[in-house]
Amino acid sequence: MTALKLDHIYKDFSGLEVLVDISMTVEEGERHAVIGPNGAGKSTLFNIITGHYRPSRGKIHIMGRDSTGWSAHKIARMSLSRSFQVINNFPKMTVFENVRNAIVSKVDQRFNVVSFLSRSGKIRRQTEAVLEQLGMYEVRDVPAMELSYGWQRKLELALTLAGDSNVILLDEPTAGLDIEETRGFIELIKELTRGKTLVVVEHDMEVVFTLADRITVLNYGGVLITGSPEKIRDSEAVKNAYLGRNSHAAGTD
Amino acid sequence: MMAIHGLVYGMLLFMVASGLTLVFGMMGVLNLAHASFYMLGAYIAYSVTVITHSFWLSLLISPLIVAVLGMIIERFFLRRAHNRGHVAELLVTFGFFYILGELVRMIWGSNPLPVPAPVILQGDIPLLGGTYPVYRLFILFFSGIVLLALSLILKKTRVGILVRAAVSDAEMVDALGSNAPRLFMGVFGGGAALAALAGVIAAPFLSVYPSMGLDVLLDCFVVIVIGGFGSLFGALISAILIGELQSFGILWVPRLALVLQFLLMAIILVIRPTGLMGEKE
Amino acid sequence: MNIFPIVNNGWKVLAGTFVVALPLVVPEMQVHLATEVLIYCLFAVSFNLLLGYAGLLPFGFAAMFGVGAYAAALMFNHLGSTPLVVVITVAAASGLLTAIIIGAFCVRLGGTYFALLTLAFQMFFYAVALKWRSVTNGDDGIPVMRPEFYFPGLGNLSLMNIHNLYWVVLFFVVLGILSAYLFLKTPLGNAVVCMRENEERAAFLGYNVYLTKLAVFSFAGLLAGVAGALYALFQEFVATTVIDANMSFAVVLMTIVGGTGRFSGPIAGAIFFMLFQDWISDITDYWRLYFGIVFVVVVLYLEGGLISLFNLDPIRRLLRRKTG
Repeated sequence: MTALKLDHIYKDFSGLEVLVDISMTVEEGERHAVIGPNGAGKSTLFNIITGHYRPSRGKIHIMGRDSTGWSAHKIARMSLSRSFQVINNFPKMTVFENVRNAIVSKVDQRFNVVSFLSRSGKIRRQTEAVLEQLGMYEVRDVPAMELSYGWQRKLELALTLAGDSNVILLDEPTAGLDIEETRGFIELIKELTRGKTLVVVEHDMEVVFTLADRITVLNYGGVLITGSPEKIRDSEAVKNAYLGRNSHAAGTD
Repeated sequence: MMAIHGLVYGMLLFMVASGLTLVFGMMGVLNLAHASFYMLGAYIAYSVTVITHSFWLSLLISPLIVAVLGMIIERFFLRRAHNRGHVAELLVTFGFFYILGELVRMIWGSNPLPVPAPVILQGDIPLLGGTYPVYRLFILFFSGIVLLALSLILKKTRVGILVRAAVSDAEMVDALGSNAPRLFMGVFGGGAALAALAGVIAAPFLSVYPSMGLDVLLDCFVVIVIGGFGSLFGALISAILIGELQSFGILWVPRLALVLQFLLMAIILVIRPTGLMGEKE
Repeated sequence: MNIFPIVNNGWKVLAGTFVVALPLVVPEMQVHLATEVLIYCLFAVSFNLLLGYAGLLPFGFAAMFGVGAYAAALMFNHLGSTPLVVVITVAAASGLLTAIIIGAFCVRLGGTYFALLTLAFQMFFYAVALKWRSVTNGDDGIPVMRPEFYFPGLGNLSLMNIHNLYWVVLFFVVLGILSAYLFLKTPLGNAVVCMRENEERAAFLGYNVYLTKLAVFSFAGLLAGVAGALYALFQEFVATTVIDANMSFAVVLMTIVGGTGRFSGPIAGAIFFMLFQDWISDITDYWRLYFGIVFVVVVLYLEGGLISLFNLDPIRRLLRRKTG
């Protein structure tokens, strides 16, 4: 089944065209990277897919269902979750409470008024499981805003993966991390998203070529080219688009 | 005839709402005390008229006093709350709205007070086959001049252009740098003066009573919601609309005139949350 | 051995005992005052569910309080034999319904809109109460006959007795405040706080922001309705003052002065508000003006409200050091 399908998506903001005729298909279980120079529209694309913005034109299908125009929470409940480029967590809540928020939504207890949150063994176990998977158990009682940047990025990932969604969108998950941290992160992502559909926006080419089965290149709001990593690596058009930029394209072998 | 009546109240409302919407557009805070400035303007006019027997003098003195008060509030209180966020700012303006309301009760009492219009503006003149009170026409005339003056200031003077830029673009305010606080204080005081002026003019027309602040606040809020936060033109259109609605509403469905206004606002909020002319939030 | 928990819980037990035994140790006029304080405590706690926990500031909260008061008054007068519990339930339901209606429109909107729009709605209800004389008697108001309260084992208690009234009000107020406290411990309560912390992220995690806010607004309205009914019972009279701007403003003022950051903040605020009114109105009629000044001072200089002055941390640290 096609996990994600974009049909001729356009998006303009008060006349300013940000996305032009984007069509894209991501199969179930695929690992898809979206790359492109700054301003190419990558974050806007994510915002459209996840329901934060409505496309001006075009249709989106998630797991075969038309999700065009659906609200963000409805899409999230359709088993699609996303992470944010800029840290976006619950600052005053502890790491444990942060992840628990995601779990509560996952087990659909959002409107439960008849039992106490702290008593639910199921929720606690699942929260702890996620924390273990990400190696965050030791910091579980630290308020999110007191975490170092590296831990906050992990928390960002945790919030996204906690829901065990089928389709996972990661927006520059390694932004701001050094080479060591990035490598560790990528391994973690690979392991935890096994079997899921993954769409990643990235700048770091090493990450892209390690992770992706297929790559879509955006430029000026439109799709420049889509294909396998080799195809992208050898493409003149891509090189031109990145003119003047340092791409570590050759660095992975 | 009814239509003119609605226009009169509408223009008065616009005078008050314009200051409110400019301050909101520029500083991001809905100044609830603005309604108190209107009320104070009217009450000070009452006292000045009682002491000096000159209505015209109050037209001068009232806005001046209220403008100074406004600038003091902005400089020493509102600015302090700025770092705490919008809620704190709103609460400070609310606090002053409340305090000034009680202060007025303390100084002038809870009963409505009459402010007589100056002799030359009293009485009726023949109009459109009937007669119409001169004073109301004066309100129209005066508010028209104020409207003209306001648009000239905003379009032609340097300050005015700065204000308009700051209203439509919040980032522009950062570019102002060290001038921003002075501009804020000035606009705040100017808006207060405008509200007070409207209060003075309204006094002989609507009389002076302690809850006039609350009444005008709610009407202004409806005006700004419909016209869009930050839009002067929108405020003008919707103020006239509200004026007419109240005028005709009282005629058709006297007990439920309030409902029409209310319904209109509710509908607009549902369909177009940024108001008829407002900026995208 | 850490004696802090003993101190911490000990004083709570002491305070609780005092509150329950109050009518037995305090002169009658103060019992009267204390009853009114209790009612405002519930009103303020329900308000703080919105301001302190949901991050919503409604300037028109008296709408739910007033509807509850009128519902109770009408029931006391026209259906006088109805058990008190039923009347309170009906008042709660009216508060709930009013909140659902108002909330449906207002909750979608942000801070300032929400604050003033709720005020506009409340003024609308005020106008209705004022004009619908056939039902509400306008600003002349409806006198209320306190019914008897049947308590198994004690028989019919007359609520004209201020002691009985105090204990009955205490019972319902404690029930209300307890349910607010427990609400916050449920997943829905957590969702409400979560939404205040980061609404956008909550939505992306699958939380329905609109419904969650509507739910907490409705629940707060329900509790306010109960407070209103108790107010009707206490005052023996319901007029448009229960649903006017002043009542809306009062709960805003007292809650913020008390402190919105802790659950007990609004309780402190209600107590302070009533005591302030009681003491200052002996000196001057314009106690409201002075409370307004206190309010502005608190907003600018004491962010956590009066309750933040009751910080047990220094004591905790002192005791920890002493006992090792």
